[in-house]
Amino acid sequence: MAAPQVTYAIDKDAALMIEPLDLMTAIYHRRSGITHIVAEPIPQILAVIGATPETADVIAERLAAVFDLGKDVDAATEIISARLEEMASLGLLGRHYA
Amino acid sequence: MDDPEKPSETECNGGTTRRRALMLGAVTASAIVSVRPALAQSAASVLNCDIAVPGPHGRGMHIDAYGKLVPRNTPGSFTTSGQKFTGEQVKAAMQGRNLPGTSYDQSQAYVNYIRRLQTGQSGFTCFASLQVAR
Repeated sequence: MAAPQVTYAIDKDAALMIEPLDLMTAIYHRRSGITHIVAEPIPQILAVIGATPETADVIAERLAAVFDLGKDVDAATEIISARLEEMASLGLLGRHYA
Repeated sequence: MDDPEKPSETECNGGTTRRRALMLGAVTASAIVSVRPALAQSAASVLNCDIAVPGPHGRGMHIDAYGKLVPRNTPGSFTTSGQKFTGEQVKAAMQGRNLPGTSYDQSQAYVNYIRRLQTGQSGFTCFASLQVAR
């Protein structure tokens, strides 16, 4: 595909406050004042993303180094990609085009 | 960022790493619920918000026993003045007490009116917050 490659990074300006609450995690997004209650795999995805923009493939690889993502790598990457898009649309992550 | 999920070194055994399965869910299954400030604030301000009976959209109309807005001369309907009741008064009325300055039947009709409020109508956010704050 000729479409530009999408990469994701932690947006430092968003100043997220992440608070694990038993099975769920509360993420307070200071810039919008919105609190997001998230479930796995969101906190785990956030934990492997840094300030340098990375593609969904790279983020999936990092997750795979820590967790068992199952045998179907493509399916796992597709789900991770969908969650990354969701987080970017909520402002929890920065979306960049390489 | 710190990562509490990283397996400890003790889990690496003879060159094979036991990794916990990550609950990925489905592509279409969102794992995020957002709590927007407006709702969070309304839940916290139950005692301060108020509900006019009726709101501006029903000014001058009467309210029947079912809580519907009806013309003034409808038999069995109750007169209204646009009086504002606080969230606390409405909450008490929903539990059986009369709204201040109303008879029993009138209070029931008013509460039915409040129950029928829909999003976008005056008083709805206050009523919705009563449902949230328990």
